[in-house]
Amino acid sequence: MSVKLWPLIFLKRAWWQQWLRVSKSTQNIALLNARQIYILPTRWGLLYAVMLIALLIGSINYSLSLGFYVTFLLASLGNIAMLHTWRNLVHLQVAVLKANPVFAGDGTDVIFNISDTKNRPRYAITASFLENNHLTQNISANDSQLFPVPLATSKRGLHTLPRLTLNTQFPLNLLHAWAVIENPFQVLVYPKPSDLIEPQALSFDSSTQGGSQLNKGDEDFNGHKNYQFGDSPSRIDWKASSRSIGLFTKLYSGTGSSALWLDWEATIGEKEARISQLTRWVIDAQASQKIYGLKLPNIILQPSNTESHYHQALTALAMLD
Amino acid sequence: MPHYLNVYQLKWLLLSLAVVLVSHVANLPVWVIAASATFGTWRYCIEKYQWPMPKAWQLLPITLLICIGIIFTFKGFFGRDASLSLLVVMCSLKLLETKTLRDYMLVIVLGYFLVGNLFLFNQTIATFLVSIPPLILLTATLINTSLPTIQSIQFSFKLACQLLLQAVPVMLILFVLFPRIPGPLWGLPQNANNAMSGLGDSLQFGNISNLTKNSAIAFRAQFKGAIPANNQLYWRGPVLWHQKNQNWTMSSAKIGLPLEKLTVQGAPIQYAITLEPHNRLWLLMLDMPTTIPQKAKLTHDYSVLADRPVRTRMRYEATSFNQYQLGTSLSEREKLLSLQINEGENPKTIELVKTWEHLSAADKINAALNLYRQQDFFYTLQPPRLSKNSVDDFLFNTKRGFCEHYATSFVYLMRAASVPARIVTGYQGGEFNPNGNYLIVRQSDAHAWAEVWLQDKGWVRVDPTAAVSPERIEFGISEALSNTDELPIMARKDYPWLKKAYLNWDSVNNGWNQWVLGYDDKKQLDFLKKLTGKGLNLQEMLIWMMAMIVLVMVATSYFLIKQNKTKLNPAQHLYARYLNQLKRTGLEPRSSEAALDFAQRAAAVLPNQKQLIIEIAQRYNALMYSASPKPELLDELAQRIKQLKIKTL
Amino acid sequence: MQNTINAIIQAASQVILGKESHIKLSLTCLLAGGHLLIEDLPGMGKTTLAHTLAQVLGLSFRRTQFTSDLLPADIIGVSVFDRNTSNFQFHPGPIFSNVLLADEINRATPKTQSALLEAMEEHQVTVDGNTHLLPSPFFVIATQNPKHHIGTFALPESQLDRFLMRITLGYPDSQSERALLQNKGGRANAQHIQAVCDGETLLKLQQNVSHVHVSDALLDYLQALIQYTRTQFNTGLSPRAGLGLRQCAQAWAMCEGRDFVIPEDIQAVLPSVVTHRLQTDGNINIAKQILDNVAI
Repeated sequence: MSVKLWPLIFLKRAWWQQWLRVSKSTQNIALLNARQIYILPTRWGLLYAVMLIALLIGSINYSLSLGFYVTFLLASLGNIAMLHTWRNLVHLQVAVLKANPVFAGDGTDVIFNISDTKNRPRYAITASFLENNHLTQNISANDSQLFPVPLATSKRGLHTLPRLTLNTQFPLNLLHAWAVIENPFQVLVYPKPSDLIEPQALSFDSSTQGGSQLNKGDEDFNGHKNYQFGDSPSRIDWKASSRSIGLFTKLYSGTGSSALWLDWEATIGEKEARISQLTRWVIDAQASQKIYGLKLPNIILQPSNTESHYHQALTALAMLD
Repeated sequence: MPHYLNVYQLKWLLLSLAVVLVSHVANLPVWVIAASATFGTWRYCIEKYQWPMPKAWQLLPITLLICIGIIFTFKGFFGRDASLSLLVVMCSLKLLETKTLRDYMLVIVLGYFLVGNLFLFNQTIATFLVSIPPLILLTATLINTSLPTIQSIQFSFKLACQLLLQAVPVMLILFVLFPRIPGPLWGLPQNANNAMSGLGDSLQFGNISNLTKNSAIAFRAQFKGAIPANNQLYWRGPVLWHQKNQNWTMSSAKIGLPLEKLTVQGAPIQYAITLEPHNRLWLLMLDMPTTIPQKAKLTHDYSVLADRPVRTRMRYEATSFNQYQLGTSLSEREKLLSLQINEGENPKTIELVKTWEHLSAADKINAALNLYRQQDFFYTLQPPRLSKNSVDDFLFNTKRGFCEHYATSFVYLMRAASVPARIVTGYQGGEFNPNGNYLIVRQSDAHAWAEVWLQDKGWVRVDPTAAVSPERIEFGISEALSNTDELPIMARKDYPWLKKAYLNWDSVNNGWNQWVLGYDDKKQLDFLKKLTGKGLNLQEMLIWMMAMIVLVMVATSYFLIKQNKTKLNPAQHLYARYLNQLKRTGLEPRSSEAALDFAQRAAAVLPNQKQLIIEIAQRYNALMYSASPKPELLDELAQRIKQLKIKTL
Repeated sequence: MQNTINAIIQAASQVILGKESHIKLSLTCLLAGGHLLIEDLPGMGKTTLAHTLAQVLGLSFRRTQFTSDLLPADIIGVSVFDRNTSNFQFHPGPIFSNVLLADEINRATPKTQSALLEAMEEHQVTVDGNTHLLPSPFFVIATQNPKHHIGTFALPESQLDRFLMRITLGYPDSQSERALLQNKGGRANAQHIQAVCDGETLLKLQQNVSHVHVSDALLDYLQALIQYTRTQFNTGLSPRAGLGLRQCAQAWAMCEGRDFVIPEDIQAVLPSVVTHRLQTDGNINIAKQILDNVAI
């Protein structure tokens, strides 16, 4: 559904870009003002103009007053369309909502929330990063619309978004209006996981935390509680119970199951390869619902298996200097 | 990747092109219309029944066939009619491979161009009206191509109308101020002017009576002073000197006769004429013209000729005098020419004239006129055919004829009797339109009369038709003919209401012609002079044009950009007023703050108003959110807001 | 009707001191026909609140301590072979009561949790192919320790969604604290409290909740709130959550004695209804963020 637009060819050139007035904001919200909108005819607009010139010459040649009327009406229509195209874009509010973290090399959608601030519906708005055009949508009056704009990633780390281009050709397809928006929003790109799975790394590291899996959860005595139907008889604290009425159950705390340590030292190769390898392990460990910790040169993450732990681990890998 | 469009957009395209086709229906041969309609239907079926799109090699023979058809119909590709047909049929053929946005846009732009071509054929008010629906539909189609989702029919239709209406002011500015360059820039195609009618440069029996059946307007005349009497309204056209059999022609310019001397007296008659195009040179003038338009030239016999054939409606001003003496002296060459008759024709007439030999020139005229008066000559549009000796046949046999018969036979009589005479063709009379205070002269008012040269008096106008049918000259052609004659309905005297309606319509048409169609380079300069008090040169014109366009655009964009107001219900209205009052104390609700929460906050700031503020919020909430709010709640709300106002003041 | 609600709140307040709004919220949740999750540190009065509510409402009440070795059958019940009748006889578990207090629900294994949650949703249990309807009204009041304790099985987000509300009691204010220390409230008093309502009345109240009017303007606001969460968080509110929010607002409006919902009602219940359904990344002020950013 992408339309190749010739003005964008110019936009790609760096020398041109420095002349552009770009809507920059320190926050993740930008409001397009009247001066930030550019407008040029599309190639259809040029075709239309050629047709108008032909009509004008015909009208002069044949002294057709009504020929002049049609020529001037259509010329004026193009003129009015320019105002409408411009008005379709002006005073839009563009906010970056979120970009789900992504593994390097994969594409992600950066979610923009574009809203009308002037109580009028907007039509056929396209949002894209320069290299790829995408999704054209309408926005209702005083409403907002989500624009998932695809973004290709290549390197891990925290990246500032490229410039976003909003454009529209509404209402007549004859004119192309666009605005360029820059904002400081950053996308987190996780390292690209390596394809290799090294099985030894997935074994339990017995050198740390040690011990068998069995009684992990019984390590530290934590207190008593009233006996409840269903409590294991082996945990009843008979001694304590004899001192009082009723039974008490012993409470213990502990990790409950064995932890897997994913260690920087266990990987080989250069830095990026190691990061890549660790990323693969983290993904696999999470997928097999293991409890795992992560040891990096500058950071150690305690074992866990929650979703947030998973993201923490990947973030640490992404941000590793 | 090409951008394919949906069925809905295709339907719009087909509909708008169909309307373009309909608007051109009179200008196209039937087979072109049929072919275009077929291609359009075919394209629709492709979409509806999922037929395959035709391949290029399948379309090639069709294209060839069409080209052959065009060549066959129009004898070539050139000329207005052939190019239009070619354009229409190719445009509809293009539909058969229209899939992408690119094709759509091409076809739509072509559609606009075709609408512009409508006016090559005629420029009446009706054509103007016919051009509007296709423009709206094409614009609506264009709107649909720019939308990612299907909107309602009303949406694109309404928007198209809005856009076109908003385009009108700038269009008017351009129309008035865009410098008009006098055309043509290059030669006109041959058949651009073939439909025009008017006086020819020669006279044969049947020429004028044919013209008389045509109710088309020849010209309109607007007088500065009083309109002269009908019998003074001789609109001078070509003067015919040369007789060959039944054919009378003008004197050749090569002969180079000197300009006849004209002396005038009495009051000048000033008038302006809007002449319909007739593709000939003559500019009609009232007998006898003294001032003529620039660039026009006067022939020796006082016909006025334009510098090139009149192909567009033109307006000119002139002055004439109806008391005059023309050509008091007659050169030998002129005498020779004005006495020329073919030898050996019309023996009976020659015989008759011999009996007049002893009479003076003036008496010969009277004798001839008496001939028409006393015998039963009859004025009719349907004269019988005449034999080779036409004058004999007419004078002694049929005795039925039209002005051309009387004029030619009279001049023949005069010449045979050695009185110099010539035929003048033109128009006589005209119809007064009280709505516009001007005179309408139609082709049906075409007339031929005679001028004879008398010693000391010069060329004197003699209208033999007046001898037969004085009504024709006094009151116009409708009075002269019985209703059975084939006069066009507008020239007849019955149906007065129809005539009245027609006169109204004609004054509208005249205004249209004067101000819309006649708005050319000259008129533009005149109009701007009148408007500004002084003339504008080209540069000033352009500056004014740009300035006004910018002004209109700024105004338009202001209206376009200003925020649409949300409609408030009465409770919201009251509440907004209340909030405005509170603003003075610095209290303003956040957009996310509910009424009661805000009231709590406000009450803390204005503790003595607490109860009122809370009550207002409660009532507002009840009005806004309860199932069926009691009507008195609104009054209560209004009352409390009022009370609050008193207290804060 | 209003009197009943006021009486319930009044009575419960005598036991749970200084927590009137929490009592109201809990009651709202029950009136809206939903289950309640109370999350707080030990000793904050979670159990007391549950117990008191059951007592005041005049409902049968069972309490089950959830542990890691608790089996689904321990809650739902078991079929036991009866020698006398040579038949399997169903022994209903603690779930067959009006109010089930599931204490420390996150201590049980996911298997047990899901058995409970399924019963909560369906209002029936199926054992050995026989379906047993649960009594009506039926509520689960679950408690959970918020601190990330090792050896617990945190309820996954999908399961949390089954609880209409999650409330946190927090520390009592100084006045209530003193009263508590003076032994004026607390669990001891819960025993002496009189029921001011019964199951029948409660069912009727529940029915009335659905008759509380929700205007279009309010639905707009509700939708805007839901839409906002969907744009701001990884997973926004589900349609079920939206429905729950509406029901709670209706119930709250009824507790306030109104027959229509106003934005304030939604704002009052929103924190309890939405926070446990959104992945917050530790953002505690999430409800405030939502409410402050959505215009009425």
